[in-house]
Amino acid sequence: MDFLRPASWEEALAAKAEHPTAVPIAGGTDVMVEINFDHRRPDVLLDLNRIGELQEWEVGEETVRLGASVPYTRIIERLRGELPGLALAGHTVGSPQIRNRGSVGGNLGAASPAGDSHPALLAAGAEVEAVSVRGTRMIPVEEFYTGVKRNCLEADELIRAVHIKKADGPQQFSKVGTRNAMVIAVCAFGLALHPETRTVKTGIGSAAPTPIRARAAEEFLNAALEEAGLWDNGRIIPPSVARQFAELVSGAANPIDDVRGSAAYRRHALGVMARRTLGWTWDEYRGNERSARCA
Amino acid sequence: MAQSTSSVITLNVNGEKRTLPVDHRTTLLDALRERLDLTGTKKGCDQGQCGACTVLIDGRRAVSCLQLAVAAEGREITTIEGLADGDQLHPVQQAFLDLDGFQCGYCTPGQICSALAVIEEHAAGWPSAATTDVRPEAGVPPLTADEIRERMSGNLCRCGAYVSIVQAVARAAGVETAQAAPALPQQGRTEEGTAA
Amino acid sequence: MTTTRPLLGSPMTRLEGREKVTGTARYAVDYPVDRVAYAWPVPAAVARGEITAVDATAALADPAVLAVLSYENAPRLHDTDDRTLAVLQSPHIAHRGQFAALAVATSLEAARGAAAAIRVAYAPEPHDVILTRDHPGLYKPDEVDEGMPTDREHGDFDTVYARAQVRLDAVYETPPLHNHPLEPHAATAMWDGDDLTVYDSNQGATAVQHVLAELFGLATGKIHVINEHVGGGFGSKGTARPHVVLAAMAARVVRRPVKLALPRNQLAAVTGHRSPTIQRIRIGADTEGHVQALAHEVTTQISALDGFVEPAAVVSRVMYAAPNSRTTHRVTRLDVPTPSWMRAPGECPGMFALESAMDELAIACGVDPIELRVRNEPTVEPDSGLPFSSRHLVECLREGTRRFGWHDRDPRIAGKHEGRLLIGSGVAASTYPVYVMASHAEAHAGPDGSYEVHVSASDIGTGARTVLTQIAADALGVPLDRVRVRVGSSDLPPASVAGASSGTASWGWPVHKACTELRQRLEALGHSVPEQGLTVAADIAEDLDDREDYARHAFGAQFAEVQVDTVTGETRVRRLLGVFAAGRILNPRTARSQFIGGMTMGLGMALLEGSTMDPAFGDYAERDLASYHVPACADVPEIDVHWIEEEDPQLNPMGSKGIGEIGIVGTAAAIANAVHHATGVRIRALPIHPAVLMPPLAGARQASPS
Repeated sequence: MDFLRPASWEEALAAKAEHPTAVPIAGGTDVMVEINFDHRRPDVLLDLNRIGELQEWEVGEETVRLGASVPYTRIIERLRGELPGLALAGHTVGSPQIRNRGSVGGNLGAASPAGDSHPALLAAGAEVEAVSVRGTRMIPVEEFYTGVKRNCLEADELIRAVHIKKADGPQQFSKVGTRNAMVIAVCAFGLALHPETRTVKTGIGSAAPTPIRARAAEEFLNAALEEAGLWDNGRIIPPSVARQFAELVSGAANPIDDVRGSAAYRRHALGVMARRTLGWTWDEYRGNERSARCA
Repeated sequence: MAQSTSSVITLNVNGEKRTLPVDHRTTLLDALRERLDLTGTKKGCDQGQCGACTVLIDGRRAVSCLQLAVAAEGREITTIEGLADGDQLHPVQQAFLDLDGFQCGYCTPGQICSALAVIEEHAAGWPSAATTDVRPEAGVPPLTADEIRERMSGNLCRCGAYVSIVQAVARAAGVETAQAAPALPQQGRTEEGTAA
Repeated sequence: MTTTRPLLGSPMTRLEGREKVTGTARYAVDYPVDRVAYAWPVPAAVARGEITAVDATAALADPAVLAVLSYENAPRLHDTDDRTLAVLQSPHIAHRGQFAALAVATSLEAARGAAAAIRVAYAPEPHDVILTRDHPGLYKPDEVDEGMPTDREHGDFDTVYARAQVRLDAVYETPPLHNHPLEPHAATAMWDGDDLTVYDSNQGATAVQHVLAELFGLATGKIHVINEHVGGGFGSKGTARPHVVLAAMAARVVRRPVKLALPRNQLAAVTGHRSPTIQRIRIGADTEGHVQALAHEVTTQISALDGFVEPAAVVSRVMYAAPNSRTTHRVTRLDVPTPSWMRAPGECPGMFALESAMDELAIACGVDPIELRVRNEPTVEPDSGLPFSSRHLVECLREGTRRFGWHDRDPRIAGKHEGRLLIGSGVAASTYPVYVMASHAEAHAGPDGSYEVHVSASDIGTGARTVLTQIAADALGVPLDRVRVRVGSSDLPPASVAGASSGTASWGWPVHKACTELRQRLEALGHSVPEQGLTVAADIAEDLDDREDYARHAFGAQFAEVQVDTVTGETRVRRLLGVFAAGRILNPRTARSQFIGGMTMGLGMALLEGSTMDPAFGDYAERDLASYHVPACADVPEIDVHWIEEEDPQLNPMGSKGIGEIGIVGTAAAIANAVHHATGVRIRALPIHPAVLMPPLAGARQASPS
């Protein structure tokens, strides 16, 4: 196994172009598990740890450009104001040791349906910056996942960064597992309110072959909130609306029975998480609105 | 670039520089154990699922089984062997010893390295999943027993020494009374907000 | 010279503690060894069949690879009783994951790579891997465990049960459970001529020595097994396991020392586990809850290679006065991994069933569950009719009642809410037999006033080294720092396995005997030690034969408080309390850790742990620590442990009962009973996963007017 350690991003892209089968590795928390058990035996590893800019982030007007290798602990520590949903999801990734090394870039590269960052990215709205010697393309995260552990990267492309919409409203992340910590999600759910566009976005993990948005649920809720003027009047969401939203979220999933949980339980739990996260975020939104009015 | 399968690297372990050729497939864990005779770091799963191989890399805890040795070059690595000052145990080691925070001892080096990091991470204001108020302006949460439990959850102990481990971390962190606080259900949140 | 406080009963810190917290304690593959090679096994990829070809060409292409072993070329072994140890001896595959080949190389990486490159071809045969209550292969084994009768019958169960005022008939199930010690099974093997030295992770160096001698056709004196530090075992290292045989075989073939540490994902198939059990319990009682008839019928499995028959009904021969009773075991042979011991084999799953049933009976009779147990307290051991050497179950229940605040408990089901959480509490009894096994020890007095005590004991984290030092110093009447106890080597006087909670009694007794005699001999010599020192050897075989007939058991009571999330079905344990009566507690510090450790594993059994047999592939789906959930720190609440000091002269010179296993007995029932109290949902098949609890919980919520 060859081990390439490019010193710069340009070198990395050149190396990836020359060795399209090279597997990029940064924190190693996804790739190494596969290598240690011979699930994967790459001829070439492309170590991205020397490329400083992958560990950096820029907070712009609208988005955070998050370097592919920024570890979860940095996100939790430094970006929980801008990316609250992702920071909450980050808290539940693997173990604290894994969070010190693991990154969103790794999660996207692995594209496991159980990856914890995906629901948060889907709910916040994000684009993957995929770069090759041929150029750069921005891939909406919804289109990034193409199958179980598959993504749409070309063989010569590397993930440079993820551009994530800065939170313009409350965000939540919820995960059900059978252990209190260090647990692979039985299923997970992310929800973000976007008061600026008066929309709600969602993300579902571990309940379909790929991470997905519950689009019908979003459309229903957007219409219901608009119709009742709730974004303006700040009233509580009628229980019937919350219930319907939860049912549509459950219905969006396409889960399987496995040792972590049954499909029926996953659907049930998704509905619960949808209702809960909606309740929490809407309460926070109303609170913010009230204090804004008082100020 | 020519294909090669090994490299000569210099590892900085416990303040000492060690130069050695390594197979590119060699993990930091195996390099420590099989090449440098630093066998205090244990292999429990080789998949990042148990924490027995926890070391500090540039001051932060990481599982050495998911770290390639060749990629660890230039980093400062601290293992269990590097904690005591001669015969003087590190306070975390002393607390584990005094409070019987282990039985078979196999997970212990990882637990202790993790505990060191927990105390530092907490002091630096990092929240955890057990932190109820994670807003940046909320400040450092008190290091309660629940906080310690959550923060120490990357290290499995099959002997079931967690009760004493939590006490040992609390003592080493100087918050010993925290262990007396009963585990409370999550406060500050109603069941589903007011929406449902 | 005087000691200020008695050595027995003092909370001495672990003697090897400093080594463990500094990382200098060496485990089986931690010893630096020159020219060491590494071995990596290849598990069989069919559930049953024949190996038709082993192609090692690609593996051997790497010059770092020293050998590839399979049944085709592996050295022949002599026979032993344990057929799981006949590694690489036959092309027949008895279960998926059984070793099919072994790669040996000069580096760990090369060995792993070679193992992955070995191509094994199979002729698969149909397999049968799922246990059912009516499995056609069920039969009555000759005995369960060693010497325990398979079935017992007292009085006329059928008639009395049929006429009983209150009848309970329920089936309880426990899943396959895996020990998963944090240190995977591992060995370093080295040959020097016909002498074999192995550093091995096991619970009994003497036992492993004997088996290796048998397999390799050598005198036991040629085999040296060292297990100075062992990273947990919980039964899975109680006898020699295949890894040590493979390591020794490989070392002989490549003529170099060989290290073999099993990868975690191979453990589930080859190191033993607790069999699944299906247990039908029927109780006939009067309306006051007096048990008149009790039947405990167990269905379980072994493998095509035999294995341990889980004696789960045995507890019903000990616990409660039932004039009419039936306890039976039926077993079937499946194409599955071979079951073995896991912490409190028999008692642990058996008491989940019995103590759940007692809770159901209490509710059916409207009697407090503690009072129900008190009412059924026997005067002699129900099955044998023998008097108990000591039995303080009632005292444990009473003490626990007080400490837990049981009297404040509202007996109504699903009566306590905190928001979306339902809160409940439950109780269960614990029991574990007092075992002691023949062992030897030697005590040596040096002319400088120091003492050395030798016994081939195994400290797998129990604190054996420490408590044996306390026993020795106490018997010698000298301070602790004058005594050095050596354990962890088969070159020491032969001793029994660290299992069946018997270590302290089995090793402590000969240590006590040797030290007592040494003290007397030194006193006779006027305390002048001869230049060459003075050594006394002791053997307790006769002492064991001379013991009077008593039923000897430890007892305890476990209390649990849980919260159940009514919308997600998640259960969390809020607190656990255990009160035990286990003879004299010789070291309160290590004893507390043992009790708490057992209860923690019991919590895992209740809520988290279970292995799923994949019917199509014939292996356990959970083969790593991400899918087999042992409790993490965040799962474990405050656990409170107390004990009642017992003075029992019928045990051993120290007056101790074993404490390593009783902590796991009853915990799962206490938690399941608490879940029922919280929710009204009775879970009779463990573990209590949200996916299991949610459907009935949702049903119960809809049915209730709230």
